[in-house]
Amino acid sequence: MPSLLLVVLLVEVAVHLVNTIGATAINDMLWNIYLALPTEVSKQATEKNRLQKEYLAIRRDLNATSSQDQFAKWAKLRRQHDKQLEQLEKMKASHDASKAKFDRTAGVIRWSATSGVKFILPWIYGKEPMFWLPNGWFPYYVEWILSFPRAPLGSISIVSWQTACAAAVLLFSDSIKAILASVLGTKSAQKQPATSTTREKGPTPASSTANGKKDS
Amino acid sequence: MSAAVVSADDDIFEPTLQSILDQKTLRWIFVGGKGGVGKTTTSCSLAIQLAKVRRSVLLISTDPAHNLSDAFSQKFGKEARLVDGFTNLSAMEIDPNGSIQDLLAGQGEDTDAMGGMGGMMQDLAFAIPGIDEAMSFAEVLKQVKSLSYEVIIFDTAPTGHTLRFLQFPSVLEKALAKVSQLSNQYGPLLNGFLGSQGQLPNGQNLNEMMEKLEGLRQTISEVNAQFKDENLTTFVCVCIAEFLSLYETERMIQELGGYGIDTHCIVVNQLLFPRPESNCDQCNARRKMQKKYLDQIEELYDEFNVVRMPLLTEEVRGKERLEKFSDMLIHPYTPPE
Repeated sequence: MPSLLLVVLLVEVAVHLVNTIGATAINDMLWNIYLALPTEVSKQATEKNRLQKEYLAIRRDLNATSSQDQFAKWAKLRRQHDKQLEQLEKMKASHDASKAKFDRTAGVIRWSATSGVKFILPWIYGKEPMFWLPNGWFPYYVEWILSFPRAPLGSISIVSWQTACAAAVLLFSDSIKAILASVLGTKSAQKQPATSTTREKGPTPASSTANGKKDS
Repeated sequence: MSAAVVSADDDIFEPTLQSILDQKTLRWIFVGGKGGVGKTTTSCSLAIQLAKVRRSVLLISTDPAHNLSDAFSQKFGKEARLVDGFTNLSAMEIDPNGSIQDLLAGQGEDTDAMGGMGGMMQDLAFAIPGIDEAMSFAEVLKQVKSLSYEVIIFDTAPTGHTLRFLQFPSVLEKALAKVSQLSNQYGPLLNGFLGSQGQLPNGQNLNEMMEKLEGLRQTISEVNAQFKDENLTTFVCVCIAEFLSLYETERMIQELGGYGIDTHCIVVNQLLFPRPESNCDQCNARRKMQKKYLDQIEELYDEFNVVRMPLLTEEVRGKERLEKFSDMLIHPYTPPE
């Protein structure tokens, strides 16, 4: 097993990633991956897409056929249209149901792999010191807080370590964001002179960088 | 000019209603279509033809605008009455909306005086969509069953109405199942504070009422099953060779298919057969239009008995004319050369 310090850090990174990307986006991504696998559900999904295409084709035909001049053809198309619509609706319902089920399962797994672990680890390793502070470097109350809640005095508790990791991850991600923003900003600024004068657009990237830094 | 192209005898499905006459198991025959296409004339004619080969035939009009009296020039009412000149053909006219009033009036005179619980229960029962018509329908069916007719022909109201009528059993069964379930769940509770007899304030009995509803449900589901049996029930669609009528017919046939009610006969009414030398512009133009839709009908309904009936120069009223007209349901009309 990798060291507990590393595990806690990784969990914090994972939690942060989930929070920034967004749970729905992750679920959608997983769902698309799931659909690409050769499962029953993916077969259904391709079937549904095929049916939808057919349905649209029939619909186009139906709209192009005059009901007054070619009643027989129109009525036959109409029958097909109604039948396919009914089928499609049924398929859509079952598709939605399986997606909802998938979302639920994925949500539970995702939560227990990130937030669940985050809550459980301090509970299990609450009494274990992460590492010891050099003796006498810090006053008593600082030591007390750092060892909160159950770790022996003079050590860093897992909760403190988690908090520190979370803060570090946040700081790190914010600085990455700021760097990205400034890089993209200069890039778009470099592109712009082709279309308009440089002088007018000059100050824009600087201000956007400033904004990015302010955010962090 | 080929104005005489009517017969398509090489078809497997012959253009007559002979199949209905031959199908001895048939018990219920519905005749329906858009308003003004000749439903009543067709149902009367069909009844006359059936009377020749069956022991007893009953013709019922459920159309609020009753035309049976008009067609036979004889007054009919809520009770089955023999048609003049026939020994085995009876007719009756029922108003699907009227009989609920009778039913309500018979239920409890002092409902208004008591208000409260009894009225509420009644409101609850009668709030089920379509229950009034269905109840009167069930009432009629009960009557009809006891009268032991071999075939019963329904001259139905225009399209939308008919379909609603046929839909009732399914709708009602669902609704009544809900009510029964409710009463089973809350019955003990209600009985708890109504007293051991389950007496409602206006002298009605809760259990009795539930039993009544349950009985109604059973009758209706039985009827439902009969209507869905193609050996017992068929639907004859009447239309004219015009777009709207055809459109409605197609819709009706699809919906009937959805309810599982058999239909394999279409009567195309009011066809014009102008003489070749005729110089009536309107007639010729109309004939051309009808021809177009007839071809479409033939193409679309290749598994149906499509009967073509001519438009006569006289009103089809009275026994003799109806008999003459009805003959054309069985022997295809050939226009005079």
